[in-house]
Amino acid sequence: MWGRRLRAALGWTAWLALATVAFGDEPADPAAVEFFERSVRPILVERCVSCHGPEKAKGGLRLDSRAGALAGGDSGPAVEPGDVDASMLAEAIRHDGDVRMPPRSKLDQPEIDILTAWIARGAPWGPEPERPAASPKGGAFEDSEEFARRARSWSFQPIREVEPPAVGGDWPRGAIDRFLLAAMAEKGLEPSPEADRRTLIRRLSFDLVGLPPTPAEVAEFLADDAPDAYDRLVERLLASPHYGERWGRHWLDLVRFAETSGHEFDYDIVNAWRYRDYVVRALNADLPYDQFVVEHLAGDLLPEPRRNPADGSNESIQGTGFFWLGEGVHSPLDLRDEGARRVDNQIDVVSKTFLGLTVACARCHDHKFDPIGARDYYALAGFMRSTRIQQAFLDSDVRIAPIVAELEERKAALAAMLAEAAPKLPAPRRAEVEALLSAPEAGAGEARPAPEDLAAWRLSGDAFRARPTVPFRVEPSRLVAAPAGSPGSGWISDRLQGVARSPTFTIAGSRLHVLAGGAGGRLNVVIDGFEKIRGPIYDGLTVAVNHPDAPRWITIDVAAWVGHRAYLEACDGATPDFGGSVATLVDGRGWINLHAVRLGDGPAPPAVEVPTAVAVDPADLVREIAAVDSPLAARIAAALEEHREIEARIPDPALAPAALDGDGEDEFLMVRGSPRTLGDAVPRRLLAILGGGGPAPDAPGSGRLELARAMVDVRANPLIARVLVNRLWRHHFGEGLASSVDDFGAMGREPSHPELLDWLASEFVRGGWSLKAMHRLMVGSSAYRMVARATPDADRADPTNALLHRSNVRRLEAEAVRDALLAVSGRLDRRAGGPSVPPHLSPYMEGRGRPGRSGPLDGDGRRGLYLQVRRNFLNPLFLVFDAPVPAATTGRRHATNVPAQALALLNDPLTVELAGAWAARVLSEVSDDAARVERLYQEAFARPPTADESARCLAFLADRPAGAEGAWAELAHALFNVKEFVYVD
Amino acid sequence: MLARCANGFGAVALSALLRDRAFAADPSAAGTHHPAMATSVIFLYMDGGPSQMDTFDPKPRLDREHGRPIGVKTAPTQFNDVGAVLKSPWKFRRYGECGAPVSDLFPNVARHVDEMAIIRSMTSEFSEHTTANYFLHTGSGLQGRPSHGAWTTYGLGSESRDLPGFVVLSGGLIPPGGMDCFSNGFLPAAFQGSVFRPSAEAVANIRPAESAPGGQLRKLDLIRDLDRGVADRMGRPDALEAAIANYELAFRMQASVPGLMDLDGESPATKKLYGLDDEYEPTRIFARECLAARRLVERGVRFVEVLCPSVGHDRWDQHSDLKGGHERNARAVDRPIAGLLTDLKGRGLLDSTLVFWGGEFGRTPMAQGKDGRDHNPFGFTVWLAGGGVKGGVTHGETDDYGYHAVVDKVEMYDLHATMLHLLGLDHERLTYRFGGRDMRLTDVHGEVVTPILA
Repeated sequence: MWGRRLRAALGWTAWLALATVAFGDEPADPAAVEFFERSVRPILVERCVSCHGPEKAKGGLRLDSRAGALAGGDSGPAVEPGDVDASMLAEAIRHDGDVRMPPRSKLDQPEIDILTAWIARGAPWGPEPERPAASPKGGAFEDSEEFARRARSWSFQPIREVEPPAVGGDWPRGAIDRFLLAAMAEKGLEPSPEADRRTLIRRLSFDLVGLPPTPAEVAEFLADDAPDAYDRLVERLLASPHYGERWGRHWLDLVRFAETSGHEFDYDIVNAWRYRDYVVRALNADLPYDQFVVEHLAGDLLPEPRRNPADGSNESIQGTGFFWLGEGVHSPLDLRDEGARRVDNQIDVVSKTFLGLTVACARCHDHKFDPIGARDYYALAGFMRSTRIQQAFLDSDVRIAPIVAELEERKAALAAMLAEAAPKLPAPRRAEVEALLSAPEAGAGEARPAPEDLAAWRLSGDAFRARPTVPFRVEPSRLVAAPAGSPGSGWISDRLQGVARSPTFTIAGSRLHVLAGGAGGRLNVVIDGFEKIRGPIYDGLTVAVNHPDAPRWITIDVAAWVGHRAYLEACDGATPDFGGSVATLVDGRGWINLHAVRLGDGPAPPAVEVPTAVAVDPADLVREIAAVDSPLAARIAAALEEHREIEARIPDPALAPAALDGDGEDEFLMVRGSPRTLGDAVPRRLLAILGGGGPAPDAPGSGRLELARAMVDVRANPLIARVLVNRLWRHHFGEGLASSVDDFGAMGREPSHPELLDWLASEFVRGGWSLKAMHRLMVGSSAYRMVARATPDADRADPTNALLHRSNVRRLEAEAVRDALLAVSGRLDRRAGGPSVPPHLSPYMEGRGRPGRSGPLDGDGRRGLYLQVRRNFLNPLFLVFDAPVPAATTGRRHATNVPAQALALLNDPLTVELAGAWAARVLSEVSDDAARVERLYQEAFARPPTADESARCLAFLADRPAGAEGAWAELAHALFNVKEFVYVD
Repeated sequence: MLARCANGFGAVALSALLRDRAFAADPSAAGTHHPAMATSVIFLYMDGGPSQMDTFDPKPRLDREHGRPIGVKTAPTQFNDVGAVLKSPWKFRRYGECGAPVSDLFPNVARHVDEMAIIRSMTSEFSEHTTANYFLHTGSGLQGRPSHGAWTTYGLGSESRDLPGFVVLSGGLIPPGGMDCFSNGFLPAAFQGSVFRPSAEAVANIRPAESAPGGQLRKLDLIRDLDRGVADRMGRPDALEAAIANYELAFRMQASVPGLMDLDGESPATKKLYGLDDEYEPTRIFARECLAARRLVERGVRFVEVLCPSVGHDRWDQHSDLKGGHERNARAVDRPIAGLLTDLKGRGLLDSTLVFWGGEFGRTPMAQGKDGRDHNPFGFTVWLAGGGVKGGVTHGETDDYGYHAVVDKVEMYDLHATMLHLLGLDHERLTYRFGGRDMRLTDVHGEVVTPILA
C-alpha cells in the first residue's frame, strides 16, 4: 500500500514538471479545477496513466489530458462530459460491462464516486501538460511508408525468369544442378559423388512412396543396364498408388488433419476421412496445383465440379473439407468469441499452407513485421463468416437421381390411375383423392432473405422439394396430401436425405417459432456458425421433430442470443447430432416439413393456421376401388408395390464435410481482436499485398471462388508457387531452400538459393502446376543422387550443408517407420482409402472421449495414413517419432532423439509381434541360415549384410538358448532396432 | 554397454535439437536468465475447480445472505442454473503465525500456511473445463500448445540422467482435454509430458520385451555392434550417434522408472506421513503420487504434475452436492499434500521446489440448483509454497461474495510468468520460433507477481 502511495506521489511530481499554465477548452471555474486537481487527477495519475498515458496508450486511449479522455481510444470516446451513462470510463470503472478497468484491482467505491461525479460535472480539467504528439492513427496501413518498406521484402517480388548459370563439366544434369554447382564453386566446394544404386533405390522409394523397396525391386533396378533405368524407376514410383499416400501425409500436416475435434468429448468430425482420400486421389492424378488450391477454397462453388473417373462422384467439393478439421470447443460460453477463434484457426491454416504467411498475427493489430494489416485479416475473415459447414452429397446425381427418376415416373403413373379412379368413388373418398392429386399453391412468401420466407431457404441433398412434382407422399399405410408452399423432405421418399437452411438473420426477438411436422427430423439453430449444439447450454437450440400425424409449433428460446447472427437448419439426415457422448448423423430415414417460421418476443406461437393433413389408407382405397373397378384396383395395388420396390433400392448418400455458401457478409474489424469492440465492416478480399482480389461488392454468396481465383493468380501472388516448390524441395533434400517453409515473411529465413527457387517456381507454373513434373526435376538431378557421407573438409566449408554439397541422412517420419515395420514383416495391407481404422488404445491412453472399443494392435496392417487421428488419443508411436499435434500448419516436422523412441522399438507389443511375423515368414521361405540372414538384410536395408554383419548375426543365433523360431524372432527384432532401419542415407 | 552415457536425458535431447538447424540458429533454451530460486516444480492440479469460498477465501456475506438472490449482476454460467446465495458448509479457523483462515476441509494443509502464499485474486478467461484446462496448462485456450511443464523443461533441460524432465503422475483421472494438457505442442517431442501411472509399469513400453534373463542385453550388444558398422558407413552423422546414445538412456530408464514407483524402501514413518495407511483409498492413491513426486524431484525431474484420484464420481467439479463432493476430494488430498510439504521441508527440498496448488477456475458464490456451485473464472484461489515463495502471505482479494477478483487481480499469464521467474527464467525471453512468431508461454502478457516473492 505504501509503495503505491509513494509511486503515486512520484508520478504526481513528475507530472507537475511537465505541466504548463495552459488551460483546457472549458472556462476555468476555480472550484471545478480544484475539485479536479485535489480529487480527480490523483486517481487518474495513480491508477490510469501508467497504461493510458505518455509511456503506453493501451487501446489507443490516453487519460493524461482532457482532449485524450474526450477523444477516447479504439472503442470510442471515454468521457461524455455531463453524461455518466454514456461514458465508457464510468462503465469500465464500475466493472459493469465487458471492459473492466483498472484490470487488476477495482477502484475503491469512493474513488469510483469521485470519477463519476467528475464526469457528471462536465469533466473539468486543470492546467494541461503540453499536448502530447498525436498517436500515429488514421490512414490505411497499406498506404503507409512502413507498408511500402515491408512490401519490398524478397518473397513479395514477382517471380523472376532466371537463366541457370553457365557452368562447365559433366556433373550437371539440368538447371537445378547448374544453380547448385555455381554456388558451390564460389565456396570452392565440389559436389559429392553419386551414391550406389542400392542407396538410390532405397532413398527414392522412401521419398516417393514412403515404403522400403522389396528385394525383387532392388534386384531389377540393379540388373537394368539401360541408360534410362533411373528415370524409369522414378516413373514407376510416381505412378504407384502409394505415391499419393506418402505425399498426402505431408499435405495433411499442413491442414492440421484430424478426425475428431478434441476438447472435452473429442467428437468425431464425421466423414473426415473423405478429405484424406480426396487428397490422395488428387495427388495420384497429378491434379494441377492451382486447381487443387481452387478446390480447397471454393470446390463447392465450381460450375463444373471435377468428377471422380471411377464413380462419377463430385471430387471438387471435398477439397473444402479442410476448413472444418480444426478443434471444436464443447459448450463455450461466448459463441461470438468461439466463432472468432474458429475463423482465426481457418485463416491461420489457409495463410500458412498456401501463402507461407502468418496472417493470423494481424488479428489484434497490423502485423509486426510483414505487410499485412488488420484489415487484411478481417477481409479474409468475411469469407469464413459467409461460409457454413455441411455434409455434402457427393454422388446424388450419379447414384441416387436415376432411381428417383424411376420412382417419380412410377408415382406419376399411380397419380394418373388415382385420377382415373376418383370419379368412380363415393363422395367423401372422392374429395380426399382429389385433394391428394391437387397441386398445392406456391407459398405466398415475400421475396426477402429472411427465415420467414421459406422460398429463400436453401435446399441441399436429395430429399427436399419446395413443391413436389407429384403432390402426395407415399407411406406404408398412408397416402398424404402436400400442403401449400412448404419445403419438405418426404415428398419423394423417406429414404432420401437432405437439409434445408434458412438465410442468415440477426436474432431480433427472444423466440423462434417454427411450424413443422415429420418423423426422425431435427431442427437446429446455428448461432455464429456454432454447430456442436448440445447441453448444458445449447440443448434448447436443437429440437427433434417427431410428430408425423400433424405439424406442430415448435418454440425455441433464443433470448440469450439476441443480436447474434444465426440460421436455421431443418435436417433429414446428413447433419451430425451432438446430443450424446459421440457425434452421430441424424437419422436419414425420416422426413421433415416446414410450414411457417416466425420470429417474435412472445412465448406463444403466432396465430397461423395449422394445416390439417389429408391422408388416405391405401389398403382401404384399393378395396373401395376394387368394388367399382377391380382391374384398376389391381393396377393401383401393383403400382404401389412397384413403388415400394424401387424405393427400397435407394442407397445411402456418400457424404463429406464441406463448405456451403451462406449469405455474403463482410466481417467487422475487431479492435484488439475482440468481438466485443467492433470497428467498420471490411470488404472481403485477398491480402492487399497480393493484389487484393475478391468478389464484387454486391455479388451474392461468400465470394470464395473469386478469392480462390485471386489466390492462384501468380502474377499478383508469387507466393502461391514459391511456397509449394519450396515444400517439395524440403521433402526431397531434407531442408527447404528457404528453411522456414511456413513463413515467407520477415521473420522467416531468406532462401539459400533465391534464383533457383524462382527458377523452380516459374518452371512449376510453366509446366501446368504439375507436382509430378517437379518431382521428376528434383529427383532427376545429380544433386539428389549424391552420397550422404560427410567429408571433413567439405563439412568445414559448409557445416550445415546449406549449399547441398552432399545428401542429408534423414530419419524416417513416424508413419514411415510404422509402414516400414509392416512392409518388412509382410503384414502390410496395401488397400487404399476408406473409413479409418480406429486407434489401438493401450491402458496408458485415458481420458474423456475415450472410444468404447480399442482398434486392432496392428491397425489391420493398414498404412499409418489410414489410422484414425483422434485429437485426444493420438497414436503414441507417432508422437514419439515427432508426428505433429494437429493444431496448426506444420510444414517442417522435428526429428528429435528421445529414449521413448528406443523404448517403442524395443518393447512395444506391435514391434515384437511384427518381428515374430517377419522371422516366421523368412524361416518358411528360405532354408539356409546364412541365406536367411541375407534375406532379412535385403528386406530391411535393401542390401546384403557384410561378412562381419552376417557372422555377427549367425553368432547371435548360435548363442540362443531359445528354439530356432524364437531366436530368429529375436534377430529380426534386433534388426528393427539397427539405426539403418529408421535412417535413410 | 553403458560406457558412453552422455550427460543425461535433457542433454541428449538438447544436443539432438542443436542439430536441428532452424533451432540451432535460435538458441533461446538451456540456462537461466537470472539466478533461480527454484529448480523444480510440483503442480498439485485440483482438476475440476475447487471452491474458493469453501477453502481459503471466507466470505461472511454468504452467511448473511444465504438463500437470498445474489445482489450483483451475474455473468453467464456454464449450466445457466443460477440459484440463491449459498453459504459455505464449513467453518474457517485461523492458522499459523500469519493467521490465515483455512476451512475445515484442509486441517492438515492448514498447518503449513506460514509456508504458503495464498493468491485469492486468481482469474481465468474461460468457464468451460477443457478450454480452461488448456489455458491453465499452456497459457492458451486452444488445443495443442506446449504445456508449462514442456516450457520449463525446454528452458532448463533436465537434471535427471534417466528420467524425462516433465512427468505427470496419474491417479486415474485424466482431466478434460486429455493428453494435450501435457503436450509439447510445437516444441520438440523431448519436452512432452510423460504420464506415469501409479504402478510398476508406470509408462508404456518400460518393461523389456524379452522374458529370458539377459535377453535384452544380448540383443542390445548385437544392435550396438551392427550400429557401429552402419554409423561408419554413413560417415557418423550426429543424428545417428544421438540415436545410438538413446538406447543407453532407454536401457537405464527401464530400471529407474520401476524403481522410482517402488516405495518399499521408504520408511514406515514417511509412508504414514503421506497417508499411505489411510483407510480411504483415494487418499492412499494420492499419497503414493505425492511421495512419487518427491522421489522424482530428488532425482532431478524438473516438473511434476500430480493429478487427482477418483473419489467415486467427479473431480472438484461440484455442480451439485457441494458438501459431499468437496469433502471427499479434500479428504483424498489433504493429508498427502501436508505430508509432502513436511517431507520436502525435512529433507531440505522445499527451498528449491516450487509447490503449486490450484484448479482451472473456482466456483460461484450462488448455488447451482440447490446445493452445487457452477464454474467461476472471475476470481478464485490458488497457492504456492517453497522455491522462492514468501510464506504466510495472502495476495489479492475477491469481492464480498468471492465472485470477482477486485484487488491485485492475477491473470494466468502472471502466474506463469511468476513460476518461470522463480525458476530463473524471464517469461519474455523464453521463446520458441514457430510459424513465424517467437512464441511464449505468456503470449504477449504476464507480469511477475512480486509481492509473493521471498
